[in-house]
Amino acid sequence: MIKAGKPSTKHRVVINFSLSNLISRFTFLVALLVFVGGGFVVAQADPITVQARLVLGTSTEQKGKTEVSNAIRKRLAKVFKWMKYYELRSRRMGIVDGATKTAKLSKTTKIEVSNQKNGRIAVSLFSEGKMLVQKNQLLKPGSCMVLAGGSGTDSAWFIVLSKDK
Amino acid sequence: MNENEIQLKVQALVDGELTGREAEELLSRLESDAGLKALHTRLTVVRGLMADAELPRRLPESGDFHWSQISKAIEREERQAKHMARPASGANWLRRWVLPLAGIACLVLVLSLQQTTMPDLEILLSSDHELELSIEDIDVMTFNTGDDNMSVVWLDYSIDLQQDGIDLWLD
Repeated sequence: MIKAGKPSTKHRVVINFSLSNLISRFTFLVALLVFVGGGFVVAQADPITVQARLVLGTSTEQKGKTEVSNAIRKRLAKVFKWMKYYELRSRRMGIVDGATKTAKLSKTTKIEVSNQKNGRIAVSLFSEGKMLVQKNQLLKPGSCMVLAGGSGTDSAWFIVLSKDK
Repeated sequence: MNENEIQLKVQALVDGELTGREAEELLSRLESDAGLKALHTRLTVVRGLMADAELPRRLPESGDFHWSQISKAIEREERQAKHMARPASGANWLRRWVLPLAGIACLVLVLSLQQTTMPDLEILLSSDHELELSIEDIDVMTFNTGDDNMSVVWLDYSIDLQQDGIDLWLD
């Protein structure tokens, strides 16, 4: 013979406690996923800003031209022999992940900058329609990539690329 | 036989150089010829004087000494000739190979020391990049500054710095 018995109150309380705990944990996880995932998406969507400057390095002072900032002049003068550096043109590009942007720096010279994610960029230099060189490197904010070359006996050209913080 | 020849025969007789028969014939002739006898007497006297007056001299070295010197000189020259023809000995090998090699090693050491004492331009050759050069005729050099804050690609190429007219208008 089977007797029906009253369920134990103690046992029910334990089950209720477990359910609420699970619900709260689930809610917390969802919130965390939304927060992290959302932040990740926001971070991925944030474009990098690359500034490209066409600079003329020379030994003689040239009136009417704008000198580069002190920080760039110091960096260049530490390595190269020229003491005067003039900024001829400057272009700022906002580039999202995986995208490529082009900036024309002179009548026949342009650069293509690709955002390769995780701080890496690829820069291609074109002159008179032909690609001269392509460089792919990690560019940290505060550091710069310089493409340069001789421009006559007493001067040189520099393309200084830097990434904004 | 003329007179001169007879006088020479008399001198030979005095010197004891004539054979027995010749000497007898000449001696018999001397008996009959007063002039020749006087010559013989005079030469005999002179010879006696010279023989008595000549001081005995001894050579500082024996006669064999000169021959021994000559033979020694010949032997020395032969030894030198053999020495020249002989293959290089250990000492010669050392002189021919080890010393030049040591000189070259010293030169390399000096050059390497000079390289290490060259002024520090704070330039690093970085491998954390990829570089692709499209035109092979252009000489290219790439490096990073010592603080790693600037990477440089130097091209042996001149670009046109003139600004485009449209850009100039837009600027």
